[in-house]
Amino acid sequence: MAIPLTAYLIVAAVLFAIGVYAVMAQRSAVMILMGIEVLLNAVGLNIVAFWRYVGPGDYSAQIFLIIIVTVGAVEMGIGLAIMMLLYRNRQSVQVDMFKDLNG
Amino acid sequence: MTLSAWAQWSAFIIFAIISIAGALGMATTMSMFRSGIFLMGSFFGVAGLFILLLADLLALLQVMMYIGGMLVMILFMVMFSHDPGGSMMAGMKMSPIENFFSLGIPPEEMEEMEEMEEMDMSGMSMTTPVKMHAAVIGLITGIGLVALLLLRPVWPVVSTLPAPDSARKVGTLLMSKYMMAFEGAGLLILIGIFGAVLMARAGRFAEKPGRDARVAHEDPPAPIDRKPLAPDHPPVGEVPEMEVPEAHGD
Repeated sequence: MAIPLTAYLIVAAVLFAIGVYAVMAQRSAVMILMGIEVLLNAVGLNIVAFWRYVGPGDYSAQIFLIIIVTVGAVEMGIGLAIMMLLYRNRQSVQVDMFKDLNG
Repeated sequence: MTLSAWAQWSAFIIFAIISIAGALGMATTMSMFRSGIFLMGSFFGVAGLFILLLADLLALLQVMMYIGGMLVMILFMVMFSHDPGGSMMAGMKMSPIENFFSLGIPPEEMEEMEEMEEMDMSGMSMTTPVKMHAAVIGLITGIGLVALLLLRPVWPVVSTLPAPDSARKVGTLLMSKYMMAFEGAGLLILIGIFGAVLMARAGRFAEKPGRDARVAHEDPPAPIDRKPLAPDHPPVGEVPEMEVPEAHGD
């Protein structure tokens, strides 16, 4: 326990900020999905750090992270299927080519 | 067995730098393939932090799910993208951090530079035109979160070590208390597979471009124009050369 909890949380906060930047600034849908993965990673690091320092006896935190990873995998698969469909229709995966999908 | 404080700090700093630099490189490099590799570095860094936090099962899960599964999917989809190697963007004007992470990408030789200048270069870039706003928002998010963390009074930290066999605990909990969440995740994966297959296959609207059904069509195949066969026996007087395999003595 030499490292304080705040150090881990700061790493997670920096990762989260980078993920926010990547989701908003990137043009390609693949890069946006990568940014979402970084966001999920930051959340997972937060969860594990709190589990270790605040409640190491309760393993619910690890199960929470497992569920998050599962949902992230499903989201990635569906997102890539949508991208594949968009690519076959318009030969592009850049999200600002699809402004007409804006409701 | 616990490591000494010095070893813990050095491991923490190494893994934190790996994860943050990987994420930063992912967000700023011009090459999408390189982005995927940077993202893999970031995942490894976070897995190292998990091990440092004594969550070994989750570190294994991180490596197997993210790096083994999702990153392969991402690198597969990168191949569909426009200019995955980033050589078209490498010659453009970049900020210093983008320059650093795209170091060594050879810029593509363009013959008509004058014509390219007149074109709208904003459609070629890797990032959207609101990149500066996004950078400001990301910076504000980071600074705000770190400031909140530093201003926050301390959490009630307990100093007990977790049990050494976390996999057994997690498995027992997953099969007893969180049974419904487990089953729900399984159902979600099943529906996700159905949805992905349903979206990617050629469906009812097969006449739409891009959704052509791959069916066997009824047209007879084109006739094969075949030359008449050569006569069976060569004309008399011409002995066909035959390759006699060289006999190898023992």
